Amino acid sequence: MTFPWIFDLLLCALLVGLAARALFSRTLFQGVMFFVVFGLVMALAWARLRAPDIALAEAALGAGITGALLFSAVRALRDRGDEEEC
Amino acid sequence: MSTAQLYLSTAVFLLVMGLYGVLVRPHLLRKITALNVMSAGLFLIFVAVAYRGPEAPPDPVPHAMVLTGIVISVSATAFGLLLIRRVLEVTGRAELAVEPEERTAANRQSVTGKRPSPRTEQRDARP
Repeated sequence: MTFPWIFDLLLCALLVGLAARALFSRTLFQGVMFFVVFGLVMALAWARLRAPDIALAEAALGAGITGALLFSAVRALRDRGDEEEC
Repeated sequence: MSTAQLYLSTAVFLLVMGLYGVLVRPHLLRKITALNVMSAGLFLIFVAVAYRGPEAPPDPVPHAMVLTGIVISVSATAFGLLLIRRVLEVTGRAELAVEPEERTAANRQSVTGKRPSPRTEQRDARP
């Protein structure tokens, strides 16, 4: 009984920490990378809440496709001379 | 504290953090990331409300809504990223103008390709 509780607690702390790093890391690239990891941990949380369909959709769409779009946008911004700060 | 309450408090944390990021961070890509974090918090609220313990099956209606919301948020993110590229093309920076009096004249010039007329310049210079 104690093990799943500790797992849930760790998962929630990890979610909040990863979200904070995604929003407040130094470079845009780091922020996007932390956001992708946040999406994958989020899929784990959906699975814990008995929502396997949402877990699959989050891993494929929320982490995969959104991550690819954000990475391509970071690349395009850097190519067109956007300064890499905040 | 039950599992649903734990995830509910985490969801509220994520929602508030995303809202803070949307309001405070100036870069538009950061704003979109913060918006995605915010939507994740909202989805987590829905699913945590639908959760009814490890044995009972959860409520299927919020699950369907969250599934639809994930798909829509991905397409909205793609649209927002296209808009960011356009903003960078037009204004030269991927941020919204923070000092409108200083920037509007330069932005209008880069959009229309000609200098603003003296009358509009005068109007912009007035506080």
